[in-house]
Amino acid sequence: MVPAAPSGRLKEEIIMKRRLSLSVLFSLILAVIIFPAVTQAKDIVVGTSVALTGKYARTGQEQLQGFQMWVDEVNARGGLLGRKVKLVHYDDESKPETGAKLYEKLITDDKVDLLIGPYSSDVTMAASTVAEKYHFPMVSSGASATEIWERGYKNTFGLYTLAETYMDSILEFGKSKGLKKIALIYENTAFPRGVAAGVKDKAKKLGMQVVFEEEYGKASTDFSSMIIKIKSRKPDMVIGGSYLPDSTAFMRQAKENRLFAKIFAFAVGPGLPDFGQNLGLDAEGVMGNTQWEPTLKLPGVKEFAEKYNQKYGHEPGYHAGGGYGTGQVLEAAVKKAGSTDPDKVRAALFALDIVTTFGRFKVDATGKQIGKPAYAVQWLAGERHIVLPVEAATAKAAYPFKDWGKR
Amino acid sequence: MELLEPEILLQLLIGGLLAGALYALLACGLNLIFGVMRVINLAHAELMLIGAFGAYVLFHIFGLHPLASLLIVVPAIFFVGYYLQRFLIERVVGRPMLTSLLATYGLSIILINLGLLLFSADFKSIPALQGSFLIDELAVSKPRATAGLISLLLTVGVYQFLERTRLGKAIRAVSEHAQVAAICGIDVRQIRMLTFGMAAAMAGAAGVMLSVIYSFWPGSGVDFIQKCFAIIIIGGMGNFVGAFYGGILLGVVEAFVGGFISTQWAEAAAYLLLVTVLLIRPTGLKGVARA
Amino acid sequence: MNNYRIGLWIGVALVALASLAPLGLNDYQQSFLLQVFLVIALAQAWNLISGMTGYVSFGHAAFFGVGAYASALLLTWGFPWWLAVLKSAGIAALLAVPLGFLTLRLRGPYFAIAMLGLNEVGRIVATLWVSVTHGGTGLTLSPELLPSLDVKYFTMFGLALGATLLVAWIHRSRFGLELRAIREDEEAAEMVGVNTTLNKVIAFVLSALIPGAVGAVYVMYTSYINPSSAFEHARNIEMIVVVLFGGSGTVWGPIIGAGTVMVLREMLWAQFPAAHLAALGVLLLVVVLYLPGGLVSILRDRQRSRPDARSGESP
Repeated sequence: MVPAAPSGRLKEEIIMKRRLSLSVLFSLILAVIIFPAVTQAKDIVVGTSVALTGKYARTGQEQLQGFQMWVDEVNARGGLLGRKVKLVHYDDESKPETGAKLYEKLITDDKVDLLIGPYSSDVTMAASTVAEKYHFPMVSSGASATEIWERGYKNTFGLYTLAETYMDSILEFGKSKGLKKIALIYENTAFPRGVAAGVKDKAKKLGMQVVFEEEYGKASTDFSSMIIKIKSRKPDMVIGGSYLPDSTAFMRQAKENRLFAKIFAFAVGPGLPDFGQNLGLDAEGVMGNTQWEPTLKLPGVKEFAEKYNQKYGHEPGYHAGGGYGTGQVLEAAVKKAGSTDPDKVRAALFALDIVTTFGRFKVDATGKQIGKPAYAVQWLAGERHIVLPVEAATAKAAYPFKDWGKR
Repeated sequence: MELLEPEILLQLLIGGLLAGALYALLACGLNLIFGVMRVINLAHAELMLIGAFGAYVLFHIFGLHPLASLLIVVPAIFFVGYYLQRFLIERVVGRPMLTSLLATYGLSIILINLGLLLFSADFKSIPALQGSFLIDELAVSKPRATAGLISLLLTVGVYQFLERTRLGKAIRAVSEHAQVAAICGIDVRQIRMLTFGMAAAMAGAAGVMLSVIYSFWPGSGVDFIQKCFAIIIIGGMGNFVGAFYGGILLGVVEAFVGGFISTQWAEAAAYLLLVTVLLIRPTGLKGVARA
Repeated sequence: MNNYRIGLWIGVALVALASLAPLGLNDYQQSFLLQVFLVIALAQAWNLISGMTGYVSFGHAAFFGVGAYASALLLTWGFPWWLAVLKSAGIAALLAVPLGFLTLRLRGPYFAIAMLGLNEVGRIVATLWVSVTHGGTGLTLSPELLPSLDVKYFTMFGLALGATLLVAWIHRSRFGLELRAIREDEEAAEMVGVNTTLNKVIAFVLSALIPGAVGAVYVMYTSYINPSSAFEHARNIEMIVVVLFGGSGTVWGPIIGAGTVMVLREMLWAQFPAAHLAALGVLLLVVVLYLPGGLVSILRDRQRSRPDARSGESP
């Protein structure tokens, strides 16, 4: 410490007392946190984290609303194994490290009975490591990068069709129209990279050529220089491994810079109602992927979509559908296992082969989803329609993408 | 290489200049504050976002075009700035740098999180100005051209104000030497409030311009403030004209790096420029020795 | 001298408490304490350079990020955890030598912003050096590579303790005196024969070593790292807020600050993410405006009229 100021004995005593009271206060505060949290033993506690802030906030929220609908319904049906289901959720801020911390908390502090994964592949990458560490099975609703299932883990069960296959049907469609040159852009995180890897692979098989390829950062909102470059390569198809904000920004700037291609296709963005709301007429003709649509002919879809619309005031996107489907998968697994014991639930999840509102659920020995097909959507007359595969289509794909000048 | 075609170079240049004009508007305000008060306003980008959200609200509730909303938003933010100075920043003027940095940082955190509570973390955009002007084969983005030109006009306007009017001269006098200015009968406190109000208004205008170009959310400010740091370091701290050139330079460099290397490198350009300039010329390219 | 003895006893009590804590805590509570130690260690590191010399760094998380990445890579290449920690700390310190010589030529806001820029450069390197860092996807460490929670807990505890003792020792040494002389008036210090450059660089390197080691342990705790989490700007701010809140340039300040800020955060964080940060902002304003010497200054003898914490640039 700095040289002590001259002070009498009395003063020193006062100081000492002050310090003591501080240390008492400090230890009291410590004691309060350290005191174990009390949880009710009777309810089945389902834990999850979703992005409520940050880049994935919009999609994370949809997913959470899907979970909540399932929780409400299962409780209305009398609960699970005769017990009430309670959802504990936190906000992972769209950050993987926060996600990891939260799953640690869910497992060790909240002592949840069942785990649902977070939204986005990169948060799942981090969260799944924690689940693996505690040997706790986790049904992962919002992740699709193959990388997640290539690490030898035994506790992560995917619901989504894999990122690598996202663009397959659109590429095949392009091929059937005689298109050759592809411009490929993608965010530098797990899921978009997975989409891109799939595109490159499929393009090679179809004999198509990737004439432009570039990664961009998670916070990118300005693509104009990139678009000017893409323009000079004159691609037939522009494909984006993207989320909602970047795909919206890209299309807007594509129009400003008069980038033209026969097909524009993006991951995630066009599958959400916001894409059409934000872009208005400029969304027309843009293709995308969806894991699920409220128009699919699967058990319970119509009822779910109606109820969701009533409750939240907009039609559910696939993230909401996925959240709801995750609940159904958990429900089926717990029923099959007859308990919430992690080992039994894990075994049940591996063995499960069911069709939920979200689609078929069947995983391979790594927990990777292999039962669910991918769908392609397109914005037509201000609405999102399934256009591929033809069996599930609600409209015929419009081709080619209309020139900006002729709209 | 096809990139060297004049048409592409021209497009990159135009894009860079337009983006640079917006940066300049923001950074000039930041430097104006630093010049007069020796305070780095870490909440400057949040003032900008108040402008952006202001335009957003006016557009979606009253259907007001963003360019028209400038007339409401800019004066409003002038008063926000004026009173911020009076009740908060005034207390940290003349205190050590860390004090003012932290005070304005605290303000920025509060504003960001108020924004999150009010507007959520969704990206917002205003679909008012879209598409492009076609000049022969050259496509120039309508929102960017509009935003760039208005930003340029405003910056030049403020500069003229500082150079030619009595009040502007008083501001410069305080910036040069506050004590001498006070002796000459200038109300230094009042000048500081006007300065902060004016800089805030510039940031607010930049925000309205931003809202027609990009999508934004309450956390969008971080990128901008860090770019502004780079700009004011490049241009010299407290130097209005320096910040203007710094802004334009950064816009152009980003456009060309984005065009010739990649968008990720373009995002890095500001920091690489910043660190390089600091290491070569510790007081910036147009630096003043005092700080 | 009585002051020291009291401080010593409180210190010993806290050390004993922290050593015994794992016996009665569940994993999550133990992890919470681990994070408190993390913040204490980082805050002491920042205190060492900025609190003592007055060179305000806005980018010390850069060294944390370097340590975290180095450790993640070393672990995947098969190094044992303790060697990974040592090497990561060494790498951070080694990097700090040339960086210190370059950046410490700058004064006041220029140094602060240069450090901020360095932190961003770190993030950029981690993003763009895809072949090593996997870019934005980040690195995940598989559970079998990681030491047990107890090991991580005690390592982090050791780092917090070590950093605190280091600061305490410097405080009483001639070296500390010279650093404070630099803070008060660098030219004058030079004139009376203080080798300012060397002193500053040594302080800088020491203050980089600690975050390097802390980052190394942190990545073992989260088992995941990506460019934005390694070089997170919020971490820079956290160090500064914690030190200022507790009391800059003092030994106890960072500890008190870390305890208070972390408890506050734990109470608000998970439930009200926006509110927790807004509260931090308000706290910051209050401290800056009304309590420039930090909490420590309330406890200290009131006879000393001026607060000791004058860590700003020289005018």
